[in-house]
Amino acid sequence: MNVIEIKNLTKTYGKARGITDISFNVEEGEIFGFIGPNGAGKSTTIRTLLSLIYPTSGSAAIFGKDCIQFAPEIKKEIGYLPSEVFYYDNMKVKDLLNYSASFYKKDCRKRIIELANIMDLDLNKKIDDLSLGNKKKVGIVQGLLHEPKLIILDEPTSGLDPLIQQKFFELLEEENKKGATILFSSHILSEVQRLCNRVAIIKEGKIVTVEKISTLQENNYKKFKMETKSALEANYFQISGVNNLEIRGNLTSFLFRGNINTVMRKIADIEITNLWIEEPDLEEIFMHYYEKEA
Amino acid sequence: MNIFLHELKAYRKSLIIWSLSLLLIVVLFMSFYPSFAKDSEEFTKIMAGYPEAIRNALGVNLGNFFTILGFYCFPLSFITLCGAIQAMNLGTGIVSKEVREKTADFLLTKPVTRTTVLTSKLLAAFSVLVITTIVYITAASIMAFQVKTDDFSFKLFIMLSLTMFFVQLIFLAFGIIISVVVPKIKSVLTVSLATVFAFYFLGMFTEGAKRYFSPFNYFDTAFIIKNKSYEASFLIAGAIIIILAIAASYFVYAKKDIHSV
Repeated sequence: MNVIEIKNLTKTYGKARGITDISFNVEEGEIFGFIGPNGAGKSTTIRTLLSLIYPTSGSAAIFGKDCIQFAPEIKKEIGYLPSEVFYYDNMKVKDLLNYSASFYKKDCRKRIIELANIMDLDLNKKIDDLSLGNKKKVGIVQGLLHEPKLIILDEPTSGLDPLIQQKFFELLEEENKKGATILFSSHILSEVQRLCNRVAIIKEGKIVTVEKISTLQENNYKKFKMETKSALEANYFQISGVNNLEIRGNLTSFLFRGNINTVMRKIADIEITNLWIEEPDLEEIFMHYYEKEA
Repeated sequence: MNIFLHELKAYRKSLIIWSLSLLLIVVLFMSFYPSFAKDSEEFTKIMAGYPEAIRNALGVNLGNFFTILGFYCFPLSFITLCGAIQAMNLGTGIVSKEVREKTADFLLTKPVTRTTVLTSKLLAAFSVLVITTIVYITAASIMAFQVKTDDFSFKLFIMLSLTMFFVQLIFLAFGIIISVVVPKIKSVLTVSLATVFAFYFLGMFTEGAKRYFSPFNYFDTAFIIKNKSYEASFLIAGAIIIILAIAASYFVYAKKDIHSV
């Protein structure tokens, strides 16, 4: 079942900004990455899903219901964490969270305390007095306290230190195990790589590709780098599938795509002192998509 | 209901300050009345020297200035001005404060319709005005009974006092439509002061049919004292302005894009 279905969603405003003809689905129970640089249209898409802004054309459905028409109903089951959190400054954290909870017809008190403990958040402080990172924690608790079925995160990690970030990811994975679907927008690839099953890459308001993270990586090159006893002949690795061959003294490096055994046999025949075989990280794949289009 | 209570709580401080200020003004002014009534003739001479436009703006009607009701019109015009500023602040702040403090994202991603949000906020602002008016009228009445030299019609006194509330309602409506239409209001006070004073000065210099241009002219205190009633056409005009402005606000707010800032 699709939790989010986006069909030909277009939103134009101003001249350069907006999104064009965006379509993708997020299935129930997955952690879906939504990735692209700043200004590519991630927030616009998310804000349309939340009916904060209205689409110029196209539509989106959440839990099978139109996200504009049934907005209040849908939002009962959505937890949203924006990239920048701003709350009523003169409130205490506790009061804000209770206010937030009062919108859902559930008793959230226990969950608030649980989440605050996990995130190490002081409930008795005034929001005004919190640092950016702590405000963000309030945002996280606020977004999760009603145990939503769909969690929408718009660049959620900014301002969080690595330790809290780690806890936050664990929290998300836990929620995911309990059945929550997560839409995770980010421009930081490593976090998407760490969490997500599938990813949509957006560029200048258009979806470039929707792929499984694993496929993205499989379809790609492996990076080989080796140190040999003596310099290799320039054409030793001139076989099909090898690219970017570079020999610098005893150091040889290249990218390889194809049946890995052929390369391994070649390597076995030579005397090496060290060998590195690396998966390209998402960064490189991502750049690849961006350069290809440019 | 939760939004309404939250809003009301947020207004608590400003409500207390405004109510107390209006209360102080009326107590101060009314406490002048006894000594003032004594020297009535000299004051008449001085006031007669002022241009009529100024006298009207100040709410001074020479004919009945020295009755307590006539005298009361003088602070009332000033209090109405203050009340209008309070109402305009409330109205302008209703939506714009969410935008300025960037809390709109929080509120509008909750399972509520925008209509509910606006209604709750509107009712909260309305309640604030009602409470202010009650506090004010109570204080004004007590003062009036304390300082009176002759008997006066209490009904008329309440009628006069209520004109402040009606003017407030009109400015509340103005404020709301502005806060919904203008994308981002940096300073509520600038907008509200500018609007209120513009209308106030406009009100000073308009007569006849042009009186419709300024809500401050909708309630002519001299007319009310003389006829013991409001002017129906202006009551209707005020009601139409309020209804139109609020209806338009609902319409615009429901369709509006809430941008991240």
